[in-house]
Amino acid sequence: MSRVSFNCTMQEGQIDEPTRATLAAGLQQITQDVLGESPDDVPVTFSDIPSGFGFRGGEPSTTSLVRGSIVGGVTQDVREDLMRRICDMWMEISGCTVDDLVVSARDV
Amino acid sequence: MPYYRCVVPEGSVAYEQRAAVAKAFTDIHCGNTGAPRSFVHVVFDEADDSWETPYFLDGGNRAGRSEEVRAELLDDLMGAFREITGVSSDDFSGRITEGPAKWTMEGGMVLPEPGEETEEWYSHGQAAAGG
Repeated sequence: MSRVSFNCTMQEGQIDEPTRATLAAGLQQITQDVLGESPDDVPVTFSDIPSGFGFRGGEPSTTSLVRGSIVGGVTQDVREDLMRRICDMWMEISGCTVDDLVVSARDV
Repeated sequence: MPYYRCVVPEGSVAYEQRAAVAKAFTDIHCGNTGAPRSFVHVVFDEADDSWETPYFLDGGNRAGRSEEVRAELLDDLMGAFREITGVSSDDFSGRITEGPAKWTMEGGMVLPEPGEETEEWYSHGQAAAGG
């Protein structure tokens, strides 16, 4: 079983397949840099919210959610480092703003 | 956060109803907790999940609120959903699970614990909402 995994949820049509592959590679590289996990051991899945099915603040959403799970947990300093790097990488690759991104890293 | 996922049967809730539920949930959550509107996420999922009822509200919030606030919040949300969609109580159930705020970064900021929100956080939430 992998120690770290990610599930990324985005609004339909927002991020194309080649960009998803780049984002997945970015998540795996950051996980290796911060937590020492081999990229091959970090599964990344993507799922789409169909248009008209996602809302934020009562309005149609443009937000992507990156949910990380860490078996055994990490310290808060490490968690924040991980989340911040993911934010930076995601914005750079996808072109989204910081307000269009939610990142979590939960202990399991 | 919060993240409210409404599991519904395929084709059962029209866009106008989904939009109305999303707005109602945002009003209710912000009214109960004081959170900025831009932090309220509502998603409809026509998934074939195995819940005890055909319609299910699966909510996720920051931990740290009182039992009373949590119960009132869930009751208000479920009432609004039923009123807008016409779904009966027998066909609808729900829950709100909680997790530490510090596990989530939104708008580039680690979420504060309930009761520890700063002016900067509220200001950022209003800016994100365009307000």
